[in-house]
Amino acid sequence: MLIKVNINGKDYEKDVAPYKNLLYFLREDCGLTGTKEGCGAGECGACTVIMNGKTVNSCLVLAVEANGAKIETIEGEAVNGKLSKIQEAFKKHHAVQCGFCTPGMIMSVKALLRKNKKPKEEEIKEAIDGNLCRCTGYKQIIEAVQDITGQLKKEEEIIYV
Amino acid sequence: MLYEFDYISPKNKNELLEIIAEKNGECKILAGGTDLLVDIRNGIIKPKFVVDIKTVKDFPKITYSEKEGLIIGPTITCFDIIENKLIQEKFPALVLTAKELGSTQIRNRATIIGNICNASPCADMSLSLLCLDASVDIISKEGTRRVKIKEFFTGVKKTVLNKGEVVEKIIIPAVMANAKAGFKKLKRIKGHDLSLVSVCLVKKGKIMRVAVGSAAPTSVVSDDIDSNSDFPTVWSKIEKLINPIDDIRCSKDYRIFMVKVYLERLLKEVK
Amino acid sequence: MFENVKKDELKYVGKKVERLDADEKVTGSALYTGDLVLPGMLYAKVKRSPYARAKIVRINTKKAEALPGVHCVLTGAELNYRVGLYLVDKYVLAKDVVRHFGEAVAAVAAETPVIAQKAVDLIEVEYEELEPVLDCVKALDKNAPLVHPDLGTYEYVQAVFTPVPGTNIANHTKLRKGDIEKGFKEADFVFERTYKNPNVQHVPMETHVAIGQWLPNDKINIWTSAQSPFTVRNLFAYSFKIPRNNIRVIVPYIGGGFGGKAGIGLEPLACCLSRKAGGRPVKLQATREEEFSLLPCRSALVYKIKTGVKKDGKIVAQQMTMYWDSGAYADYAVNVTRASGYSGAGPYEIPNAWLDAYTIYTNKPFGTAYRGFGHVEFSWGIERNMDYVAKQINMDPLKFRIINALKPGSITLTGEHITENTGNVVKCMEAVAEKINYGKLTAEEKQYEKRTGMKIGKSVVALHKAPAMPPFTATSVILKMNEDGTVIANIALSEIGQGAYTALAQIIAEQLKFPIEKVRVSIDSDTDKEGYDWQTVASKGLILSGNAAILAAQDLLKKAYNVAAQILRANPVDLDNDGEKIFLKHHKDKCVYFSQIAVGYSYPDGNGIGGPLIGVGVYCAQGLTNLNKETGQGLPALDWTYGAHGVVVAVNSYTGEFEVLKIASAFDVGRVINPQCVRGQVVGGVVQGLGTAMCEGYIYDGKGKLLNPSFTDNKIFTSLDVPEIIGIAVETPQIDGAYGARGVGEHPMIAVCGGVGNAIENACGADLTYMPIRQEDVWRALQKKK
Repeated sequence: MLIKVNINGKDYEKDVAPYKNLLYFLREDCGLTGTKEGCGAGECGACTVIMNGKTVNSCLVLAVEANGAKIETIEGEAVNGKLSKIQEAFKKHHAVQCGFCTPGMIMSVKALLRKNKKPKEEEIKEAIDGNLCRCTGYKQIIEAVQDITGQLKKEEEIIYV
Repeated sequence: MLYEFDYISPKNKNELLEIIAEKNGECKILAGGTDLLVDIRNGIIKPKFVVDIKTVKDFPKITYSEKEGLIIGPTITCFDIIENKLIQEKFPALVLTAKELGSTQIRNRATIIGNICNASPCADMSLSLLCLDASVDIISKEGTRRVKIKEFFTGVKKTVLNKGEVVEKIIIPAVMANAKAGFKKLKRIKGHDLSLVSVCLVKKGKIMRVAVGSAAPTSVVSDDIDSNSDFPTVWSKIEKLINPIDDIRCSKDYRIFMVKVYLERLLKEVK
Repeated sequence: MFENVKKDELKYVGKKVERLDADEKVTGSALYTGDLVLPGMLYAKVKRSPYARAKIVRINTKKAEALPGVHCVLTGAELNYRVGLYLVDKYVLAKDVVRHFGEAVAAVAAETPVIAQKAVDLIEVEYEELEPVLDCVKALDKNAPLVHPDLGTYEYVQAVFTPVPGTNIANHTKLRKGDIEKGFKEADFVFERTYKNPNVQHVPMETHVAIGQWLPNDKINIWTSAQSPFTVRNLFAYSFKIPRNNIRVIVPYIGGGFGGKAGIGLEPLACCLSRKAGGRPVKLQATREEEFSLLPCRSALVYKIKTGVKKDGKIVAQQMTMYWDSGAYADYAVNVTRASGYSGAGPYEIPNAWLDAYTIYTNKPFGTAYRGFGHVEFSWGIERNMDYVAKQINMDPLKFRIINALKPGSITLTGEHITENTGNVVKCMEAVAEKINYGKLTAEEKQYEKRTGMKIGKSVVALHKAPAMPPFTATSVILKMNEDGTVIANIALSEIGQGAYTALAQIIAEQLKFPIEKVRVSIDSDTDKEGYDWQTVASKGLILSGNAAILAAQDLLKKAYNVAAQILRANPVDLDNDGEKIFLKHHKDKCVYFSQIAVGYSYPDGNGIGGPLIGVGVYCAQGLTNLNKETGQGLPALDWTYGAHGVVVAVNSYTGEFEVLKIASAFDVGRVINPQCVRGQVVGGVVQGLGTAMCEGYIYDGKGKLLNPSFTDNKIFTSLDVPEIIGIAVETPQIDGAYGARGVGEHPMIAVCGGVGNAIENACGADLTYMPIRQEDVWRALQKKK
């Protein structure tokens, strides 16, 4: 089936099997491998993209359902080679370790910050609850978001004794 | 998806009903996809066709009137429920249960009608609908029939829907507007999880209803109870409705115990 | 080395530095193995056993082979190769019998994953179901069915392991220190209890994936998400009898490992499929469900501890028996058994000790390395036991731990003498005790109890671990200078998220006196291009590779100075350098730029001297020994990282609901190289430890079928589950550590479980001896108490 999808501001027109999900469409048909598959069943959030302004698990959206939709993926986050505020904050706060959950995580954070300019800690946790991370334990991710929104009172650090 | 199927996108109700009558048994309705696509991925169901209900233009969305009550159409997601100011104000029970369903990503796609048609005994949305005395309008080529939500579920993942039928809307009577509500869900973690057992309580004026999920083959709801009833009275009615099992998630006796605990808390909290 | 350099003299070591792989990861441009597409690549799927133990009567692959788009189908009958790290016991595909639920019995390579799946569904397998061995203690019964009747014929590392043919024992590690009978006689009290924990999955966010390519003349290329490229090459070479220089293993970015990707996994099967498919590359990626049952997990443990203690709180004797339920294949489990064997009493001095640790075969998904390498599992038993014994003799559990803690002058289970520089576990315990206000409730905590009706309980637990590795483990670092004076380090230690590459870059920059922007570490590992590294496991990366990095930097500078000395007509001893140039100490204007000599220097007339500047650093663990097989005595430990957790929980003693309010975790890391990386390991490890303590664990039915093979019922912690975590670093320098540093990758996860269990018991009296501790389990324990 022929579909037309706007991804990160660019129009893609592709012929796609009706049973192919949006995740594989992005990765295989559009060459955008930043979005990852962690479970294929909507549990881990590694495949999170923004579709028409809302975060979705792209493993549970058919490519054909995205016909005419506006999709945002991690590849669209940096503009003209310049990292976004979210990306800079993730770097600064070591909110990245193995990096596999990071693209989906950044999309969830992006969607949150569009809606809520100063999310409380609980709201940040709620927004990324669907993005599993096995490496960081989430704290440094939450601190990165608090920093972007000017809410980081004190940098949490290792205490030396 | 590893299993092949075809995708059909009807433009209006009539087209939809024609298709599902014709494809009779070979097709599944695709709403949010958060249950259907998982089942297809796991090879549990292998439909030949998937029919997208979201492309149908003439379904209701969310409307409310004193006469009709609250009408919710089949494309309405948990997100829509949570963000809707009228529902926040008048039907907080719906918001409470919608907020507990899955994660943000799931809530952005999962539909209420999809949730009840999937008819899992854990279905979060079913509890608030049962407490609010909702009904559903089921349409087919043959016509429309209205079924009370408490009669809609017939077993684990089973409903009264026949082949060729589709739920067009949920109707919540206007008399339940502004009912106070509480919802408690037992999970294994604080993060997103399905319910091990869950309790919803709704109070309006002299009437109170309690629904329990994951404690029987279907979600169950009490008859109308006097709002002033004490805990032992309410529990004696609920006790008869539930029959939980031991499974890998939770044991039977702890489920029963926690229903009592949640019930007691809700009776105190919902004023 | 350089362990005594003061903090204020250091520019990069000990300072905050952003991760050098962060750009690629935050932009999604980092390529993981699953992202790679090679020309002609085929996709593989496997057919898996629904039974825990069965005979394979017949496999019919004709329909699968005939499906258009299928390039080959393989069954175990065609593959007579066995693979194994320490005990070579596993066929590439199950041959004649299946030994665990989810084991692969056949595999398909096809043009698309959809076709491959269709083909797998067309493969017909006839099984004869057999009674599985599911209880690891019952597996030792005389009449228990044997999971490996041919155990006696398998090759294994004889210097280290002791399988017992004719039984289900893949390994028996023994330790005998002092005189246990005398010890128990001297004791005023003797207590005995048994503790249990289940199989658990690593759950890396990226599942296992490998691309294998088997070209004519047995030239093998492997792309894989693996922690140890040289081990993949080594085991492959051994099993398939192919020279190592025919095999190339490339590891791009890795999406988490935690030990699950430490050895060899899907690579042999991917390569065998490629061979049958005429040399086309074949990609085999595990689904999340396959990650849970096809790939290995963490062994379950039954730990029996008998402690003899005196009235004054000194432990005089301890007899420890570990029954490791290691599933169907030995993999790393035999070594987990050994490593836990020599460490299994925790960071406490036991004058008279007996330890018997058994790696036991059962018909379950098999156990491999997992962060902590046995220590998370046994620390549950040990730390619960320390609290239990303390309470029985009416002593505060923290005081009891401090009395028995290993200190300078102590002797470990294997006869090693603890010195001032080994590390300070008492300091770790005291630091966390202070942070959680151990022994009292603050005003805020009292308010909390009043407000919620919950009871607060606190506990301090301690831990230790040394790298579990061969005593002769070695590594290398190659440091090349580019034309502009920047450098690239080639390191086969893998970056699995722990931040090792960033820390190593800091060490290199410090040694070279270069700005860190000039140092890059090549992320992809490639056995054709990098110097050997044993494995990325055991928290040994920073110490061994750190030292190799220092030596490589020194070597690079030495070579550069030699060339500069010629140009400047100076003695190398009188030269110094900064980030740009080498100069005469006493005539600083007499200098030559690195960029002038990086790839050779040319004089004005064109004469050339020198050549590409390449520094090589090689470092091997020194002075370590094998353990005596009868007594367990020896010197196995490269270094000991000690640690402690202070845990605060609140419990509703009516419902069993509980909440971890706060964890303070301290580790004697020797020297913090990168504080944010250390914190990342602490927080990440503690959260993983909480998961193991509170919600993770495999559940089987009576026939050995895994009932929770997906995220639906195998939960891990989310952002909403994380309590307050305070990370603390103690710095007792490790003399032979790079800048005095020790590893800390595994340690934050160890003993968290014991801390939670103890704190819960202190809050409400619920006495739990098994994990995970769910809310329901607390309730049930409280019911039992009544």
